[in-house]
Amino acid sequence: MNGPRFAPAANQTAVICGIGTSLPSDVLTNDQVIARGALDTTDEWIFTRSGISRRRRAPDEVDTGDLATAAARAAIRSAPPGSPAPDLLVLATTTPDRPCPATAPEVAWRLGLGQIPAFDLSAVCSGFLYALATVTSLVRSGACVAPLIVAAEKYSAIIDPCDRNTAALFGDGAAAVVLRPGQPDEPGAVLATDWGSDGSGSELIAIAAGGSRLPASRQASREETYFRMQGRQVYAHAVRRMTESARTVLASTGWKAGDIRAFIGHQANQRILDSVAERVGVNPRHCFGNIREVGNTAAASIPLALADAVASGARRPGDPALLTAFGGGLTWASATITWPDTTVQTIQPDATGQSLQPDEDNAS
Amino acid sequence: MNEIRDHVISLLVSKFDVPAEMVTTDTTLEDMDLDSLARVELLVTLEERWHISLTDDDDSSADISVEQLVQRVRDLVDGDAGEQGRPA
Repeated sequence: MNGPRFAPAANQTAVICGIGTSLPSDVLTNDQVIARGALDTTDEWIFTRSGISRRRRAPDEVDTGDLATAAARAAIRSAPPGSPAPDLLVLATTTPDRPCPATAPEVAWRLGLGQIPAFDLSAVCSGFLYALATVTSLVRSGACVAPLIVAAEKYSAIIDPCDRNTAALFGDGAAAVVLRPGQPDEPGAVLATDWGSDGSGSELIAIAAGGSRLPASRQASREETYFRMQGRQVYAHAVRRMTESARTVLASTGWKAGDIRAFIGHQANQRILDSVAERVGVNPRHCFGNIREVGNTAAASIPLALADAVASGARRPGDPALLTAFGGGLTWASATITWPDTTVQTIQPDATGQSLQPDEDNAS
Repeated sequence: MNEIRDHVISLLVSKFDVPAEMVTTDTTLEDMDLDSLARVELLVTLEERWHISLTDDDDSSADISVEQLVQRVRDLVDGDAGEQGRPA
């Protein structure tokens, strides 16, 4: 592509005009997680340290691509009638179906979107906001007019059920948003974004094996095969980085903390969320989330929490909202948006074996 | 030193709900029922207030006492001041 395909209007930005979700139907309680991994902990211990009571778990036959396809289909259904078909698909995930190729092209094909550009974006729990920053720039430049962001995770595929530090924290799920060009004063508009990384902390959240450093073909230990996280260090980094990033994006927008009517932070840990909200100065009654019900769904966490709050009518369209996330990498990102004016659609995931057929042509 | 001690004690009482009569110089963070995340939260708060960098692993140990923590912050604050005060 050479230069913009569409001449952007003055002050044009990306506007969220459709939201979809997909959660597996199986619910795993804290007691079930404890029994599964023979963990030396209790329901109360998990809840007081994380704010999590239960999470969803996808069956073996449902993969990340299935969750992504269902959530994307729901988001397209949620967009206003007559909306153009998505012309770009970005899939934020830590758990692609395979190391190669990316999962996004197959999701685009299954959705019947034709030969649109589609790629995976790997920024762990910051993935959705990294994708939002990316597509907002592309909309502002005129490179696309109907981007589709999908955030999908199947952490049950990479979590060690016997690891007390992570087994109870993560869940499976997906959410997606459709965007269009629009003006900053419209509901759902992305006003400003901030993003950053610090690779000196790459060991704090990692899967050691399966890449070029320690290929899957070599014998890897249990410790190297599964996702591992250094919880205490991550807590400190998460609080510092999300606080700084949130303050930065508020300043870029020209908002004060008191202007915020909705704060949605990455649903990693309720105590981290409370700590960040307090530091930024957001009133607790303006904080929204669903960590108790779905746990940490990594890249899908922010859009799932946003969908939950939008579906419940928590705020009026156009209200000022702040989103912030932190994840492995280390990565972090924040965005200010106006509260979307859209419904939320939900579709249950189908197993690949049952539905690896494209939808009827949606490309036109 | 008093200012740092006062800040640590005030934090423990106001932010972490530790009964004031329980906070003595010899009380450890574990004695006050601060779990691992609360200890990290305490360190992050001290870092912000005193513009220092605490080592999360060592300084958030459960058996560190109030006085040891105060001294650690003092040493870091003095160290930083010494660095800044040094002629170029």
